[in-house]
Amino acid sequence: MTENSYIPIKTKVLDVCEESPTIKTFTLKPEKPIPFKAGQFMEMTVPGIGEAPFTPSSSPHEKGKMEISIMKAGRVTGKIHELKKGDIVGLRGPYGNEYPLSEFEGKEVLLVGGGVGLAPLRALFLALVHEVDKYKGILFCCGSRTPSDIIYKDCVLDKWQKLHKKVKFRVTVDKKDKDWKGKEGLVTTQLDDLKIDLKNSVAIVCGPPIMMKFSTFKLLEIGYREDQVYLSMEKNMSCGIGKCGHCRMGNFYACKDGPVFRYDKISNIHEIWD
Amino acid sequence: MDTYFINRPNLDRLAKSLFKTHKIYAPFKSDENRYYERIRDAGLGDAVLGEIRAVQSIKTFYLPVRTKVAEYFPEKISEKKSRPIAIMGAKSCDLASLKVMDYVFTQDSFKDPFYITQREEGLIISSDCTSYGDSCFCVALGIMPYPTEDFDINLSDIESGYVVEVGSEKGEKIVKEYFKLFQKASLYIEKKNENRTRLKEQLLEHVKNKKIPAKESIQDFFKKKFDSPLWEETAKACVECGACNVICPACHCFVLKDQASDGGFERLRLWDSCLLLSFARVAGGANPRKLLAERLRNRFDKKFNFFPDAIGRFGCTGCGRCSDACAGKIKIDEVLSKLGNA
Repeated sequence: MTENSYIPIKTKVLDVCEESPTIKTFTLKPEKPIPFKAGQFMEMTVPGIGEAPFTPSSSPHEKGKMEISIMKAGRVTGKIHELKKGDIVGLRGPYGNEYPLSEFEGKEVLLVGGGVGLAPLRALFLALVHEVDKYKGILFCCGSRTPSDIIYKDCVLDKWQKLHKKVKFRVTVDKKDKDWKGKEGLVTTQLDDLKIDLKNSVAIVCGPPIMMKFSTFKLLEIGYREDQVYLSMEKNMSCGIGKCGHCRMGNFYACKDGPVFRYDKISNIHEIWD
Repeated sequence: MDTYFINRPNLDRLAKSLFKTHKIYAPFKSDENRYYERIRDAGLGDAVLGEIRAVQSIKTFYLPVRTKVAEYFPEKISEKKSRPIAIMGAKSCDLASLKVMDYVFTQDSFKDPFYITQREEGLIISSDCTSYGDSCFCVALGIMPYPTEDFDINLSDIESGYVVEVGSEKGEKIVKEYFKLFQKASLYIEKKNENRTRLKEQLLEHVKNKKIPAKESIQDFFKKKFDSPLWEETAKACVECGACNVICPACHCFVLKDQASDGGFERLRLWDSCLLLSFARVAGGANPRKLLAERLRNRFDKKFNFFPDAIGRFGCTGCGRCSDACAGKIKIDEVLSKLGNA
């Protein structure tokens, strides 16, 4: 009989880390190893409740376990946020395409992330850093609503900044509080004075729909071409395998043709920003 | 293709024999409509093999409304072997939908084991239409009112019986096994061809009045009318019931639902409808098709724009079922006509 792709792999929750008031990172150990590439996504099952699609946020080079950062946003994610260390969940995948790292080689890689959109970018960032010699430089622009909404705080504000001389960070919050010493403003404001050779650069954007839209338009405004911008599209990916029809956008299914799309391939499709 | 003749009493005998190995379904008439019903050892009875398509499409047999697709923690591979299904009286428009369904469920890197099993084991004994319904417009999409492919055996109604065409190895095996039930067809072939030509011409005339654009131009017209007020105007009559999706032989979208089961959990696959507000919505509330007009247009987009690019065919077979089922009286042929003419 043909393999049944609907069956989840039993997976143990090894750890739960509260990143922000709405986002938690779950460290997961599946019964069978699930190798993935940065950008691909998993369907995570809460037994008896349902599934939702998430992109792992840990390094694809880490074997045997993966981390997934999840914002509490609906029915399934609400249940996921109740999970504790030792609980059992399910995983199917990985599905979809990965970030095309070979297309980034020799270039200055600009990552633009907002909110929980930092999750897939974290996996990408760690994959890039893993072979940092292949790239000319990495600039990571992180936007969050408030300082308490910044996820991977230790890394973003400290550890990652010291990783390598090729790696640079710009961190901003939409609205600062009394303790915030950093920049205030939307993440798009960090794209104004990029000291980057745009012709030899690629930009990867991930975040809430409105942030993706305005970041992409900003990138085009400052001189990126459409074929230099990569987006991770969030759509309603229910089956994950191109059958259920929910995530169709034009001639593509986000689950099998994406979730990573070069912008020039989808810029003429209606409805991509919602 | 080998051709034979079978009279009605012998076809009835064949059905009774197949009953031992298959679950057999055939259309039966109730009021003015035909519905698939299970045939048991009593044979064909009043089954209507000619006339027009049944109300249900044959996808109900390949992609049931509700299928348990997984049992997990513990994972159970329930190999409950049930008898394969034999569908009698499927029409050309139904067979055309298999091209769409096969693409979705069998030709991708991920294949659907449930659909594939049913397709491999199931038997299709199709039949020619002998009349047409008001909503029928298959010929406008290049589909004939008689099956030309994708059947195991096809039956063409002739006064005293049926001309039998064999369309597959499965069909050939049956004819060989029950060869005593079949006769030579030579006397009847001309009559069959006459019947087919007559109905086709009547149907072409019927469709001419609908003013549907030439099939080669439908996709371009759709693209041109993407931002047309047509969608908003049409959507005024839509009540978002999803009947068009449910009744359509080529609508394949589904949703997965999990629930507790005996000692574990199970995952169900249920038909879904792209007309419903929640269809494309994601957690957090973003929704690419918030407006009903966008969702209605999306249905046409999938059928007349997506599938032509994906498989070189429409995701519509011209069966007209959605026109008949629509509570708001939206007629798919009228919408197509407006694409080209309004």
